[in-house]
Amino acid sequence: MASSHADGIAAYSKAGSWFSGAERLSILKEARDASNCSLCAKRKEALSPYSLSGDHDSATDLPDNIVEVIHRVQTDSGRLTESWFKSVIDTGLSQAAYIEIVGAVSTAIILDSFARGIGVEPIEPGNASDGEPDRTVNESVFDGGAWVPLFDLPQEMTETGLPSSPNIFRAMGLVPTAIAHFFGVMRAHYALADLDFAINRSQTELIAARVSSLNQCFY
Amino acid sequence: MLLSLSGEKSSQEYNLNAITGGEMSGVGIADETILLKIAEAVFSGDKDELSDVREEGLKVLGAQGLVDAITVAAGFNGITKVANATGLPLDEATESSTVEMRQETKIDEFADSFKADVFR
Repeated sequence: MASSHADGIAAYSKAGSWFSGAERLSILKEARDASNCSLCAKRKEALSPYSLSGDHDSATDLPDNIVEVIHRVQTDSGRLTESWFKSVIDTGLSQAAYIEIVGAVSTAIILDSFARGIGVEPIEPGNASDGEPDRTVNESVFDGGAWVPLFDLPQEMTETGLPSSPNIFRAMGLVPTAIAHFFGVMRAHYALADLDFAINRSQTELIAARVSSLNQCFY
Repeated sequence: MLLSLSGEKSSQEYNLNAITGGEMSGVGIADETILLKIAEAVFSGDKDELSDVREEGLKVLGAQGLVDAITVAAGFNGITKVANATGLPLDEATESSTVEMRQETKIDEFADSFKADVFR
């Protein structure tokens, strides 16, 4: 756990596939500050979050379309829609860059939720490293019915009754570095088999189910 | 919801409606009230709520149980964001085997098609 979190926070300082280390640190900062955004707070209270327009209270100099993605994913992901996703892509943000942002924000949520949960301050990253994004896209993807292409991996049924490559893993398939970052942390938090926890499998799944429900997550 | 599979494996029947209905008990799992409180507190991120839950969780679950429960809650608080932000459908096996459960628990209301109609 400790090493996965250390690696997870260190990865923000390094260039990813579509963002530099400095930009990735800004994504982390923006994600952590989104809960202070007055527009997000108003949208959270609205019957539809798409009924209110305005500017986010941004903590960085990231472009508006990237701030929009970060804030929505961080504060109200349960009410994201495909039409919103398309509107973001129409601003010129590539699907691969979108995946990297979603992965970075979601990883930060795990790190910070755990830190707050056990009562310590969120782990802080180091300074940005030199280096450029590699700008690589995984070509081995297909349209699997999600908003983004899915990683085309062989599927075998496991003893859990679930496929060997769950869709949640394949959803980030366009950007292998985002998969490595997110699942490098997530694997310490959950597994379909061989959990080494002091709570049992049913207790584990109870927590997973309630948190998923609170996040209005269909998957 | 893998809890249904977990129940089948252990020949237990759980009340899944209690989970999506926001109830704090009635599912049928040991120590469920504190586990659900932990899930709610980690999701909210409220410092006072978390402090109270840690105190209660320590007594009921012990230190390692408490940390493990927080570990799971934090992980799912992140992975659900990936699912929500990618419009991820269920894989075929899960979709076909959970039709009744999704209707009963109203999980279908979290589907992209439903949200597209409601949140314009």
